[in-house]
Amino acid sequence: MITKVVGKRVERVGILDKVTGKAKYGADLEIPNALILKVYRSPVPHGIVRKIDTSEAAGVDGVVRIFTAKDIPGENLYGIINKDQPVLTGEKVRFEGDPIVLVAAEDEESADRALAALRVEIDELPAVFDPNEALKPEAPSIHEKGNLLFERKIVKGDVEKGFTASDIVIEETYETNMLEHAYIEPEVGVAYRDEDGCVVVLVTTQNPHSDHAQLVSILGVEPEKVRVIQTETGGGFGGKLDISVQPFLALAAYHLDRPVRMVYSREESFQATAKRHPLKIRMKTGATRDGKLTAMKAEIIADTGAYGSYGIAVATRAAVHATGPYEVPNVYVESKAVYTNNNWSGAMRGFGVPQIAVAHESQMDKLAESLGFDPITFRMMNAFTTGSVTPTGQTLNASVGIRETLKKIRPYYEQLLREADATQLSGLTGMKYGVGVASMWYGIGNTGHPNPSSAQIEVDHEGNVTLFTGAADIGQGSDTVLVQIAAETLGLPFDKIHLVRADTTLTTDAGATSASRQTYISGRAVYEAALEVRKQLVERAAKVFKVPANLMVCEGGFFFPQYREFQKLSLTDIIRRSLVPGEVIRGEGYFNPETTSLDPETGQGVPYTTYAFASQVSLVEVDLVTGQVGVVKTISAHDVGKAVNPANVEGQIFSGVAMGIGMGLFEQFYPRKTKSLDTYLIPTAMDVPEITPVIVEVPEPTGPFGAKGVGEPALIPTAPAILNAIHHATGWWVNRIPADLETIRGLTSADEMEKSKS
Amino acid sequence: MKISFTLNGKPVSCDLPSNRRVVDVLREDLGLMGTKEACGTGECGACTILVDGIPRLSCLMLAAQLEGRDVTTIEGLSKSGETLHPIQQAFVEAGAVQCGFCTPGMVLATTHLLSENPRPTREEIREALSGNICRCTGYQKIVDAVELAAEKLTEKGETA
Ligand code: FES
Ligand code: FES
Repeated sequence: MITKVVGKRVERVGILDKVTGKAKYGADLEIPNALILKVYRSPVPHGIVRKIDTSEAAGVDGVVRIFTAKDIPGENLYGIINKDQPVLTGEKVRFEGDPIVLVAAEDEESADRALAALRVEIDELPAVFDPNEALKPEAPSIHEKGNLLFERKIVKGDVEKGFTASDIVIEETYETNMLEHAYIEPEVGVAYRDEDGCVVVLVTTQNPHSDHAQLVSILGVEPEKVRVIQTETGGGFGGKLDISVQPFLALAAYHLDRPVRMVYSREESFQATAKRHPLKIRMKTGATRDGKLTAMKAEIIADTGAYGSYGIAVATRAAVHATGPYEVPNVYVESKAVYTNNNWSGAMRGFGVPQIAVAHESQMDKLAESLGFDPITFRMMNAFTTGSVTPTGQTLNASVGIRETLKKIRPYYEQLLREADATQLSGLTGMKYGVGVASMWYGIGNTGHPNPSSAQIEVDHEGNVTLFTGAADIGQGSDTVLVQIAAETLGLPFDKIHLVRADTTLTTDAGATSASRQTYISGRAVYEAALEVRKQLVERAAKVFKVPANLMVCEGGFFFPQYREFQKLSLTDIIRRSLVPGEVIRGEGYFNPETTSLDPETGQGVPYTTYAFASQVSLVEVDLVTGQVGVVKTISAHDVGKAVNPANVEGQIFSGVAMGIGMGLFEQFYPRKTKSLDTYLIPTAMDVPEITPVIVEVPEPTGPFGAKGVGEPALIPTAPAILNAIHHATGWWVNRIPADLETIRGLTSADEMEKSKS
Repeated sequence: MKISFTLNGKPVSCDLPSNRRVVDVLREDLGLMGTKEACGTGECGACTILVDGIPRLSCLMLAAQLEGRDVTTIEGLSKSGETLHPIQQAFVEAGAVQCGFCTPGMVLATTHLLSENPRPTREEIREALSGNICRCTGYQKIVDAVELAAEKLTEKGETA
């Protein structure tokens, strides 16, 4: 199919405002007379709130109002999947940082003085920080229902029989790190009540319609009494799916007759928002001598911290994806999300899949090595293809590009092997070079749940075309992609379309910007809306030309009857001739990819309509003396279905690889200890190598122009490819991330001890 | 105290507490919201401004340090008459922007780099920008943008 806008590197929507400093993020909104909000948070990880004395704080100069749990008019409980988290806790604190009191003051200094003047008495309870400990019967109970939030089982075939029929079985334990999203813009927003008494919240978010629903329930008001508008958003990576400042802003604006403003400091952003779930994974994988996978068994424990957030989704996704993109006839997975008194874990780019990929990709390399296959050949022998059946019993019918991505990286793999050998020969002593491969699959959209999106397109009597979408662009580029899809479908130039986005009063629900779903799901909804408008426009044009609609051509913003291009009329001409002032042409689009819920006992079902696939190869250098691992080169091949905007796809690949390097090599959030970017290091330009992106397009029939998604897949293969490269360089299997300086130095000295013994 | 300095080419004079952070002076007192604050502790580079042409972290500078200085923020980078400075134009063409929160700081850090080193290598670019954190782009397109900006500026016979 020849496309004019889709598949093109158009200039990103909003980029001019961003390079000139004009873009308005939450902190940039000028709201005169706004009060400052600050929160008092629990200094202990587990306890019962005995007494809250606000009298002294209320007397502090400049303090306007102090709120506690009893000021919450509606339900003092929120949570995106299971509601278990109080806005302000009046009874129990479950982690160091649980919010207890909200202060509204004229300025920051007064708010700080009020926080210092609060007297909060908490009876400390024994706390538990390890999920395995938390599961023991004698462990302190964090929530009334117990410490097991959720368990997901996947059962396919007979795993024990599968192991019996194996020539080789490898069993290993893996551990992954707790991570901070570290989006560069901390949480921020403003709120006020408008003339109609509606609480308007302007906020950095990736989930405006869900924010709206949660605020409606917290305030106990009618839906039209709350409006959430997404400001320009400085990154999210899953961390801005949960509400943060929203309920505090809404609560204060509801009670006070003044606008309010709240911004988290970096320290508060670290302390008071979700983290990536650390996983402990026990994985056992079997194969036959001739290289066929026979069985895979996994036990997964995810530390979900004090609250549920996306814990259920993470435990489920890790389980569903536990085999990797390979056919395994016999599968048994048990995956648990467990409460502890750590910072709560939630969504972060990939929801458990980046973690589980560390396990399945290490297993693949271990098996390949033992059986004498190179890593790409072994993956190719087992990779999904059209007709393959997944662990949940789903037959993959289309857009299965995993083999294509492996084929694409093969020449790079061989070239990097030669480079590693050559550098090793000429390189410094104490330096080791190695090449590692990893692959991944990733289901697009929510797991086994409906996750529809909707969109509208309007053409007014002057020919202005407006796309309405609830999808929040948080920097990944959905604005651009959605406008491209609309423009292509309508046969209009890209810059002809005006965009209204992510305002719960003006736009309808597009679902969250998460699960790599906006291009695929909202893109399809926009496509449907555009088709509808196009149909109406063509009908109008046909009337103008007095020909049947099926003989009309619509191209490049012009309409003409077949073979009569010389008579062409522009969209505006058609509109002027057929619409009266005030009349609009409107198209509605809706898409909800087909899924079924997973069977609670066996996990069988259709969790997603479509999957993205990727394979990556990295060359690393390991400094045996300092323990430092550097990624020298990375080539990453992604099957995205169709790259609606290749520049955006590349941008996501670069972004994911960079984040994966941090995850694989040095990022580690220590609950109660990590407070700033000084100790939580994220990759700089020096840590990220030159990356070669390879776009593979195996079209998805249900996607707009064949598109799937890439936002999270971009990250997933990175850490495992690094671990496999470290093995190739040094012979050590690293089963725990990050593979930081201490880990590598530890392995070096263990090796030396071993050598000195023998 | 009374503080006088040049801001984006124009003289300004204001009465400020000497210990007020420059990022607050710019954003709150002078309404220049292009300078971003992302950490407040000197770790991210989002608040970068140019003081006498040198990149400085405005979250760590105090108002008194502005006295007599020549300050450039993202708002003052392009010359009057042009909508975009060639460096900004390069960031647009290279698609070096995702969320954009790091962008003003990156652009200003680039301005300094190219004034010192008009044709930097990719390695040199990475090193020069290593104090500016970007969580979104993986840096590659930013490095592309800086190379492109260097070309544009040398073609025009200009320096940053
Ligand atoms: S805000 Fe100044 S360095 Fe981060
Ligand atoms: S573009 Fe988001 S931090 Fe750089």
